[in-house]
Amino acid sequence: MKASRKWILQRASAIIVAPLIVWFCVSLISLSTSNYNEIINFFGNTLFSWLTIILLVAGFFHARIGLNEIFEDYIHNEKVKNVTNLLTLFLSIIVPLITIILLLYKF
Amino acid sequence: MNDPKNPLSPHLQIYRWQVSSLLSITHRITGILNLLGLIFISAWICSAGIGENLFEYFSVLLKSFLGKFILISFTWSMSYHLLSGIRHFFWDLGYGYEIKTANLSGIIVIISSFILTVVLWLIGKGLI
Repeated sequence: MKASRKWILQRASAIIVAPLIVWFCVSLISLSTSNYNEIINFFGNTLFSWLTIILLVAGFFHARIGLNEIFEDYIHNEKVKNVTNLLTLFLSIIVPLITIILLLYKF
Repeated sequence: MNDPKNPLSPHLQIYRWQVSSLLSITHRITGILNLLGLIFISAWICSAGIGENLFEYFSVLLKSFLGKFILISFTWSMSYHLLSGIRHFFWDLGYGYEIKTANLSGIIVIISSFILTVVLWLIGKGLI
C-alpha cells in the first residue's frame, strides 16, 4: 500500500472508530455486570449489532495499519517483518470475521 | 509496504526523553493495548454467541478484581489513544507545532485521558 494512501485510510478509520468505541466502552462497562440474557438482548438489537460490526471492521483495520507502521520502524529483518505483517493481517481479518458471523446469526 | 527508501524513526534506546517522545511512544503502546482490548471484546461477544456456559467464564472474570482492572485499563488506554489521536489531527491540519503549544497539548491529553476514563465509568454505571 502506498504511504499516502495508508495515511488517509488510517485517519478515515480513526474518525469511524472514535465515536463507536466511546459508545461501546460505556456499554461494555454497563454490561460487565449484566447476566447472559441482557447481553443477548443487547446484541439482539439490530442497530447495536450493526454498530458493533462497523466498530470491529474499522477498529481491526485501523489496528492493522498502525501495527504495520510500528513494525516498519522497529523490525529490520525483512523476512521477520513480512511474517509479522502476514500474521497481523490474518489476525485482523479472522477475529472480526468470526465475531461478525456470530453476531449476525446467533443473536 | 516495505520500501527500503523510507526513513526510520529514531530508536528508543538512543532517544533523549521529553514530553513529546513520551507521548508519542505511549500513543503506540496504547494502540497495541487497544488491539488486545478489541480481541478481548471479540472473544467476549463470541462466547455469548456460542452459549451460556462459555459466557459464564467471562462473566466471572469481568466481575472479579482482575476483570475490573482490565476494563479500567482498557478504558484509560482507549481514552488516551483517542485524545492523543485528536492531537494528531490538529497537527495534520497544521496547528500546534510550536514547542510550547505541543508540550501544553501533550499535558492536556494526559490529564484529560484520566478525566475521560472517570466520566465514561460514571456514565457506564448510570451515575450521570
